[in-house]
Order: sequence, then structure tokens, then C-alpha cells
Amino acid sequence: MGSPAALEVCDLSACYGDHEILRRINIRIERGEIFGLFGQNGAGKTTLIRAICNRLQPRAGKIVIGGQAIRPGVSRQIGLVPQEIALYPHLTILENLQVFGRLSGLSAAATKDAIGEVIKHTALADRLHERVEVLSGGWKRRVNIAAAILHRPALLILDEPMVGVDIEARITLQNVILKLRDSGVGILLITHDLQQAETLCTQVGFLHKGVIAPQGAPRALLDLAFDGQHEIIIETELPVSATDEAVLRERGFSAVEGGQCWSVISNSPLHEITAHLEQSGMATKEIRFRKPGLDSLFLRLADQPGTVFEGHRP
Amino acid sequence: MILAMLRVMTLGLLRDRGALVLAFVLPPAIFVIFASIFSATTSDKLDLKVAVAQLSSTPASQRLEDALRQEPTFEVTGPVRSNRADVESLVKQGAADVGLVIRGEIDDTDAAPLEVLIEPSKLIAGSIVSGRVQELVARRLPDLLLSRTAVTFQSVVGAFTPEQSARLAAAIEAGARVSEQQVSTNAPGLVATASVGSSGSSGATVSYYAGAVAILFLLFASLQSAATLIEERNSGIIDRIAVGPGGSAVVVLGKLLFLTIQGVIQVGLIFIVAQLVYEVDVIKRLDLWLLITVAAALGASGLALAVATACTTKQQAQTVSTFVVLICSAIGGSMVPRFMMPEFLQAIGRFTPNTWAIEAYYGVFWRHETLSDVIPEIVSLVAMAVVGTAFALIVSRRRLRF
Repeated sequence: MGSPAALEVCDLSACYGDHEILRRINIRIERGEIFGLFGQNGAGKTTLIRAICNRLQPRAGKIVIGGQAIRPGVSRQIGLVPQEIALYPHLTILENLQVFGRLSGLSAAATKDAIGEVIKHTALADRLHERVEVLSGGWKRRVNIAAAILHRPALLILDEPMVGVDIEARITLQNVILKLRDSGVGILLITHDLQQAETLCTQVGFLHKGVIAPQGAPRALLDLAFDGQHEIIIETELPVSATDEAVLRERGFSAVEGGQCWSVISNSPLHEITAHLEQSGMATKEIRFRKPGLDSLFLRLADQPGTVFEGHRP
Repeated sequence: MILAMLRVMTLGLLRDRGALVLAFVLPPAIFVIFASIFSATTSDKLDLKVAVAQLSSTPASQRLEDALRQEPTFEVTGPVRSNRADVESLVKQGAADVGLVIRGEIDDTDAAPLEVLIEPSKLIAGSIVSGRVQELVARRLPDLLLSRTAVTFQSVVGAFTPEQSARLAAAIEAGARVSEQQVSTNAPGLVATASVGSSGSSGATVSYYAGAVAILFLLFASLQSAATLIEERNSGIIDRIAVGPGGSAVVVLGKLLFLTIQGVIQVGLIFIVAQLVYEVDVIKRLDLWLLITVAAALGASGLALAVATACTTKQQAQTVSTFVVLICSAIGGSMVPRFMMPEFLQAIGRFTPNTWAIEAYYGVFWRHETLSDVIPEIVSLVAMAVVGTAFALIVSRRRLRF
């Protein structure tokens, strides 16, 4: 028999007073798996994290972490990386790791060993004696993760772990997360960066008004939702005229940002669409063609919840 | 785990020079200032500048003017004026603390022969000068006082016989010749004053203000340091710690320990100055000092943690902290002794740690009280610590839900 799942959430419901926030949530994250959770603000993501961290008594359902039902003390199987830089800025990286090691219940000796291991995963060795307040955003994010994994949790919750970091730091952080996944940690990744999630996550779930629907492997969900369709994105030099807008809308395009970027998910061949636009005389700056990603799915789910997977049950 | 929090707080303090100065340099400095001011006011060397106007030109009023000039406790400002308006102007301008106008003969019973001009903010200076002038007349010009008394006496018992009048005149003449030393030996004054306790009154004041400044800074520093709890909440540190085995209680209890140790060091520095500069015998009562100080530091820390957990933003905490420090210090006796307050304020003051801490320190270092005498004060301070900390623990746990 293999090791128990990092996280099992079964039929979880939670409410604040009479207001129901989560309704019959089911999630399973195996060890060595990354589960991406998306949702608009107010969808219930924070409430779900609070319930998993045993800070909120659910109204119904069960949460099992590393094979143990949640109760006071079991939460030490969790490593939480909050969205903010949850570190002491006046302490060095090493001092922060020592403090959070002890606060996660490790002895002084065990903390020392754990720091040695964690700095290998997060590549922090070069600047261990520098204060956190002088580090760049990417380094701070790495220390933020390192401080949460010292006690080798079964489940790591990453809440927007890459906010405000540059591309280079983002790649480093992605590698850190993948290394942790490979070491057997189950990861719950809450993010708004859906392209990044597509790269990292083995499973994703969309939380909408307290319900997770749908969830599954990213590729499988996209195939189900967009079944052979492709996405065409057009950028124009100037905001489009009323006539051009009518042409675009006739072909099923919708505005993406600022009236100069339009996209459509369609089965029509690309040459047919571009020929039509050329005929209309529209001054296009760029035309992109790609397979629809999780961001397209997210937008569609937000616009037409319940209709995306009609006829299918992901 | 609590020691890990203690380490965080200690490193935070050691790496912030401003906070270090605020915690450990400012309190002894403020104590020295308070002690210098108030130990001076409780001695009998309070020098008051008095402007004098002489509106009468009789020999008796001239003798009074001379006596005033020779009196070491008065500093007669400038020349003696010949009109009241000049003296009034000097008092208004602040050039003199009090004005004294000699309006007529001392034995004039129709109107007060002396008038004291007081600026409203210096009423106490007026009372001091009035009292000292009366004492001066009794001591150095007894004949004038006897003349005045004789007039009053005559109006009550009727006219003196010629023989009585002659004896009275002789007595008045003899009184005018008697030296000050003879007067004090032959006729003791109506009121004599004596200090109670083992040392001078300045020792009592220094003991009082050592306690008063100590608890003021305990509150001030505790509230400042406890506000880091809000930063930790906003930065997600408490969220992170709360999933650990100690929960949010570790943060609260770790801070309580730090604030208490910081408070003991802070109060220690104040009392070291009190011992070295003002000879308050701290070493002799070190055991009781430590007990009171730990209790006071715990009380202030409990209150500070309760405030910090109740506030949602750092700005709000700063506002509430300022309010708490000022109100507690004002009604608890850190600024003005409580006996000077109306009864209802004295009653409210009992809910502040200042009242109990000041009473305990004053009791031990001035009244030489024993442990059993200061147990009520210590129990009150510890009770405040327990209530404040319990509140902080409950609120910080509840805040994790929302």
C-alpha cells in the first residue's frame, strides 16, 4: 500500500454565520502532485485554506492530511506560504529559518539539519547571512517557501507564490516548486497566473461561488472544453472603429483589453478569418494563433458557468 | 517555541538603535528631569521673586520693608515701587512671581494693610508668600502684631484702663527692641513643622517619581513593542505560525516574556540612577523591588498585548496606545500625585497599573513596607497581566478565522 494522499477534502461545506461559502468541496492531492486552485476574488479560496489549516470549523465534510483527519496538531503536516512575505525583515535568512524551524516544533538540532536540506532545495546558501529586508523580491519569495518546508510537511500550500517577481526569479521559483514536487510533497497552488499553472500543475480546479467545477488534469479539461478549437488573438494599431468592431463581433471576437486586443475561440480556419479582416481594411498590428489555455477556460467559466462542459462531466 | 519568539523580539530591538534609545536611555533621562524638578519643590529652598510696592511712609511700614529685604527666602525684584500699577505690571509680564503691596499700617483693622498680587497660574506661589509674610511679621515685628491685636481686643472687651494702656505701650515698645533670636526663644510660634519618615522630603519625592516614571515607560515601551503583533498579522507571519504546533498563542506568550524582560531592564536602569544619584536604597530592598518590577512589567505587558490584538491597523494601535499611556499616567499618578485629584478620579485611577506600581514602590522605598504590605499592589498588577494576556490569546485566535 502506497503512502496516504497529501490532502483529501471530502464533501466539505463551510459558512460564516448563515452565509454558505463552500459547498460540498472534494479535492484529492497525492504526494508529488501539484493541484492548482483558481477562482475569482470572493470565490472561497481563502476560506478553503482556513478550513484545511484547521482555523475554521467546517459545517460538514472531512479533511485528511497525510492520512490523518484534521484536528489540532495535525496541522503541523502543513507548510503554509502566505501571499505576503511572511518573514522577519530585520533577521537574516538563516535566523528566519532557525526561528521558523523552532516554531514549527523542531528541536534545535533537527532545525539545523532541516536548514541544511532546505537551502539545497531553494538555493539560498549564497546569502544566508543577509537580512531579509535587503533581498530582492525573488529571493524573499524563495525564503518564504523555505521557511514553510523545514518540518517536511506532507502538504505545502502556496498562496500566490510568485507575485511581483521578475521573469528570471519566476523561473527559479518554478524550479524550486518542481523540486519540492519531485521530493514527494503534495502542493496546493493558489494562483491567478494560469499560464504558469498550466506548466506546473498536474491537476487544476476552478472554484466558483463556493463550488469546485470543473477539476482535472489541465490538458484533459482543455480538450473537453475546446475540443479541437483554436484561439485567434488580434491586436490593432489603434482602438477599432465602430465598423471594425461590428466586423469583429460578427466573427465572434470579444475585446480582451482596451479595445485594441480581440480574441475568438473558433473552429474556422485561420486563413478564412484573416482574409475576412483584410477585406474589411482593418489595420492589424499582430495576429496570434494558439491552442486555448487555462486562461481562456477561466474566462469562459466566469462568463458562462455551467455551459462549458455541457454533455461532459470532467 | 516561546524562546524563538523571544529571540525575534530581542534581535529586533538590538538592531533598531532608535528603539534601543527609547527603551533604555530615555526612561532614566526623564526620571532625572522629574526628580530634579520635584525634589527641588519639596525642599524649603523655593526661591520666589517678589515685587514690592510701598504706599505708606510710616516708620512701621519702613521696618516691614527692611524685614522683607533681609528675608533670605524672598528675592525682592528691583527697587521698591511707589505705586501698585508698577507691581501689577511686573507680575503680569512674569518679571516677578508675586507682587506685595504695603498699603498702610499693620494695626489698621479697617482694611488689610498688605495685598498680595497673584498671577492665576501661580496661585500656590501667592499662598506661599502670604503665609511667609504673616510668619515674618510674627517673628521679626511682634510689636506691630501686638498693636494690631490690641485694637481688636479693645473693640471686644471695651476701653483699657489708663494703667492697662500704659502697660500695653511698654510691652509694644519692648517688643520693638527685642531681637529676633529672643522672640523665637521666648515665644514659640503657633505652628511648628516636622518631616516624617527616615530622610528628607526630597527622598520621598524621588521614590515617588522613580515609580511614576518607571510605570509610565513600562506602558509606553510595552505598547510600542506589542504593536509588532499587528505587523506580524498583516505580513502573514501569524498565519504561518498558527499552522504550527504552538498556534498563535506562541506569538502572544513569546511577546509577553520579551516585554516583561525588557520592562525589568528598563525599570532597573531608572532605579540604578535613583540609587546612585538620589540615594534611594534599592540594593537593601532588592528582593521586593524585583517582585514589584516583574509584576508591574507583566501588568503593562498584558495591557499592551490586549490593545495590540484588539486593534486592526498599526495606525489605530498608535492612536489607542497614546490615549492609554496618557490617560493611565494622568489618572494613575505618574504625572500628578493622586492625593491632589478629586475623589472620583482617584477611584478610577485604581484601574490603572500606574496606581498600584507607584503605591508599591513608594511603600517599599519610603514607608519601608514589607512584603505583606505590598501584596495587594502586586496581586492587582498580576491580575491585570492575566486578564490582558487572556484577552490577547482569545482575540488573536478568533482573528485567525476571519
